[in-house]
Amino acid sequence: MAHKPELGAPQMAARTSVACSQLQFPGDRSRRKTSKKQTSKAEGTSGRHRAQSGQKEEAGGNLRPGSPRRKQSERRRRQEELGEQKRSPAGRNLEGRRKRDGKASFRGQRVPPEKEKEVPKEETWKQLKKHRSTSLASSASGGESLSEEELTWILEQVEEKKKLIATMRNKPWPMAKKLTELREAQAFVEKYEGALGKGKGKRLYAYRMLMAKKWVKFKRDFGNFKTQCIPWEMKIKDIESHFGSSVASYFIFLRWMYGVNLVLFGLIFGLIIIPEVLMGMPYGSIPRKTVPRAEEEKAMDFSVLWDFEGYIKYSALFYGYYNNQRTIGWLRYRLPMAYFMVGVSVFGYSLMIVIRSMASNTQGSTSEGENDNFTFSFKMFTSWDYLIGNSETADNKYASITTSFKESIVDEQESNKEENIHLTRFLRVLANFLIICCLCGSGYLIYFVVKRSQEFSKMQNVSWYERNEVEIVMSLLGMFCPPLFETIAALENYHPRIGLKWQLGRIFALFLGNLYTFLLALMDDVHLKLSNEDTVKNITHWTLFNYYNSSGWNESVPRPPLHPADVPRGSCWETAVGIEFMRLTVSDMLVTYITILLGDFLRACFVRFMNYCWCWDLEAGFPSYAEFDISGNVLGLIFNQGMIWMGSFYAPGLVGVNVLRLLTSMYFQCWAVMSSNVPHERVFKASRSNNFYMGLLLLVLFLSLLPVAYTIMSLPPSFDCGPFSGKNRMYDVIQETIENDFPTFLGKIFAFLANPGLIIPAILLMFLAIYYLNSVSKSLARANAQLRKKIQALREVEKSHKSVKGSAMVKDSGYTLKGSSKNATQFQLTKEGTTLHSSSQSQTPDQKAQGPGTSSSAGRTSLSTTKHIPVSPPPRDSGQPLPQTHPWRSASGKSARRPPPDN
Amino acid sequence: MGSCSSHAASIPDWDDIRRETGFSQASLVRLHHRFRALDCNKKGYLCRMDLQQIGALAVNPLGDRIIDSFFPDGSHSVDFRGFVRILAHFRPVEDEGTGIRDPKEPEPLNSRMNKLRFAFQLYDLDRDGKISRHEMLQVLRLMVGAQVTEEQLESIADRTVQEADEDGDGAVSFLEFAKTLEKMNVEQKMSIRILK
Repeated sequence: MAHKPELGAPQMAARTSVACSQLQFPGDRSRRKTSKKQTSKAEGTSGRHRAQSGQKEEAGGNLRPGSPRRKQSERRRRQEELGEQKRSPAGRNLEGRRKRDGKASFRGQRVPPEKEKEVPKEETWKQLKKHRSTSLASSASGGESLSEEELTWILEQVEEKKKLIATMRNKPWPMAKKLTELREAQAFVEKYEGALGKGKGKRLYAYRMLMAKKWVKFKRDFGNFKTQCIPWEMKIKDIESHFGSSVASYFIFLRWMYGVNLVLFGLIFGLIIIPEVLMGMPYGSIPRKTVPRAEEEKAMDFSVLWDFEGYIKYSALFYGYYNNQRTIGWLRYRLPMAYFMVGVSVFGYSLMIVIRSMASNTQGSTSEGENDNFTFSFKMFTSWDYLIGNSETADNKYASITTSFKESIVDEQESNKEENIHLTRFLRVLANFLIICCLCGSGYLIYFVVKRSQEFSKMQNVSWYERNEVEIVMSLLGMFCPPLFETIAALENYHPRIGLKWQLGRIFALFLGNLYTFLLALMDDVHLKLSNEDTVKNITHWTLFNYYNSSGWNESVPRPPLHPADVPRGSCWETAVGIEFMRLTVSDMLVTYITILLGDFLRACFVRFMNYCWCWDLEAGFPSYAEFDISGNVLGLIFNQGMIWMGSFYAPGLVGVNVLRLLTSMYFQCWAVMSSNVPHERVFKASRSNNFYMGLLLLVLFLSLLPVAYTIMSLPPSFDCGPFSGKNRMYDVIQETIENDFPTFLGKIFAFLANPGLIIPAILLMFLAIYYLNSVSKSLARANAQLRKKIQALREVEKSHKSVKGSAMVKDSGYTLKGSSKNATQFQLTKEGTTLHSSSQSQTPDQKAQGPGTSSSAGRTSLSTTKHIPVSPPPRDSGQPLPQTHPWRSASGKSARRPPPDN
Repeated sequence: MGSCSSHAASIPDWDDIRRETGFSQASLVRLHHRFRALDCNKKGYLCRMDLQQIGALAVNPLGDRIIDSFFPDGSHSVDFRGFVRILAHFRPVEDEGTGIRDPKEPEPLNSRMNKLRFAFQLYDLDRDGKISRHEMLQVLRLMVGAQVTEEQLESIADRTVQEADEDGDGAVSFLEFAKTLEKMNVEQKMSIRILK
């Protein structure tokens, strides 16, 4: 019944009813012949009312057998209605004759012709489908596609005819008329339902298929697009393939840092700088926004600007520029409040993002580690990407495969290393002792130098060296200590990955000294300025008072206000701190770039080009090419970020500078690495979770949070600059907002929340929660480790079991097969066993023929060698085709279950 | 489509190939186009030289192995049927219909096992059903080149055998190979999505 689905449901219903009633009116058929078949559609509709109910059945009965042929012709020439109408009566006549022969058993008779016609019909239908789909695809629809109007018209007609068919029985027409009508209507419906309803269905289907395809393609493209959107992904992959994942981990870290800084930048620029620039008082309106008279002349010099003095100092980039007006602009934007909240949320966001990424890294690391069993097999069998068709990509792939193999080799060597444990321990203790000595020494040196510099700062006319002693000592320490640590660390003989961590930790400790001195100096400066503030404040008041109340001026006419540049003002320690951080960031960046340029690039150029005319091999010998200094770069990045966090409160523009710095250093360092560095001697795989970096970053974040919190909480803000001027403490801005802008009950709630009686229990609760979660996670981790151990043990058992069996097999066949030695005869034997075996397997000949001969037989060989150990006839079950999905699994399970061979 | 079907008719054993490989008509026609494009002298079959001209295979360290895999049993030519049969290994696996399949019917060429078998065959040089240490070393040399010392290569090969070998015969059999790659998503990785 291939054509059945093509028929509309109403038709089917009509037909069955017709078929049932057929038997009741056998005599009507003779009338049918005489009825006019050539009645046009118009006639049919006009004369519809004359038809009789008996005719309907007749028409319905012969419609079905006749329909295939009709359709065949109709579909080919859809538009030629006349021709079709001529044809269909002929078919009907034929059908009628046939039906007359078997009146009584109409149903029984009806079946064979249908079946006869099924085949050609199917063909036509297929052709039609094809035709239609092609026309759809090419959208050159030709005779098939109808215009919109025609379509709607036909649709209406079809609906009408369907209704007619349904209500035919109730019409007071003569039988013949009914029959004709019905036939006409059904023919029409069948034809146009094919063209329209079904056609529309088909079209809809084709459309859906098209959309599905498009959707798949879109998803694919979108996936590609997404990977393309990951910034610098290709660059990092490139580096990774040449230098290993450890170097790449630095760049990934750099990229992550860039992302974090972009968010901070958005926060600060969007909520502080832009509102201030747009809505705040313009430059020159008040003293804090004006360059003082004394500095005005040189304020635009480059040397001044380079030191972030002059116009830059009195710009929105620094704290001092902001006014303490509660609200600014028509939006009544509460800038001081926003300033404070942004300063807090910079830290909040950073803490959150660092901790979150640490957590997600840990999650990722637990699910890994599963494939430890087959590291080399995986690398060996699956590393090449067979879709690579580009020679450059292929080169990269070569490099990355080599690197990954090298990484695994290093890991492997480490794990297989067996040495004198006591010696190693002794050496490690010694190394740590030495390094602690170094750190203590440098710490004391720093302390000493800082003390001295404080003395020097009180003295007059000190020499250049004495003034810059701290900086010189610090940079000397920074230059010589890391290589020293590295040399000492060579004693310890750690795996390079662990070695890197130690190195990072030690240099971190050294850098902390750097930070300490810097902060100390800064604090001294701040306190000095704070102590001067009172006098400056008095001077300012005095000046203003004198200016407005001086005698010799007409009392009735108010004096023009004093020009803001002339107002004496305080030193504004916040801006000074901000400038300090800004300078530090910029000089740090420059030093990094120059070091790369000189230390790496020039060295590489020298080695590369002077090698032609030098007494020894420069490339292999002493200077050689530089390796990428992972620890130094990572720590540089981390400490730089610490500076940003500390400084961003006092210099909102600092984050912008840092974003630029990270951006340039990404490109610059990528270029430098690829052009002038060589891979590490021992390429090692970075731990996927660079949680160590994150841990250091968290520590630095915490450390940089302390001084900022201290200044906010316990130092009074400057009286004449910054958004908090005039307040006792910076956080007073919150109190002020709560009091003025919130309903009183909220203020009460806040006051209640700030009650120490509530805070201390809350903190206690938090500690409890931390303790609980920590213990839970520990127990989970223990369970995890135990499970892993179990799996490992199971595997070992299985392996030893099998190897016993394997050796048993070898003994059985009279050969001694050693581990890796290849024995030709042995393989011959197994092959024979295979052919024997495979012939016994009831494989369909088709599969035998299809497999690329040896490949399938190879598979079977392996099956047989592992399965039947003696050369006995294979067990019955293996003769049957194995379960199609996982044959090896069942086979291995079988061999595991089977008792060891009896030898 | 009319032209395509007439085209399709010109391919010998059209229906057989379709049934065996499960390719759709369109992709078979496409493959036939490709086949004819590769066949430079209109011989009706491909020889090694024809395949060696493909640029992407030239950069592939295992290019020769791939070409070899098109010529099973050491023959020197492959007709369209054989060509399609090899490529059928890379047909993506459809989700539906896996449960309904008649168990007597042969496993489709793109099943997991057949895909694995194909990969295995790339490494199994002498086609004895095992990847020996020697064969592994050869592949390694192709893949890594001269950048790693011979000693290290040997240790890698040893390690691989040690990892994968379960019956202690010093070579990786197909079952062991399959077990090694048990966690690998072979169905997806060894599928070329254009070969629907």
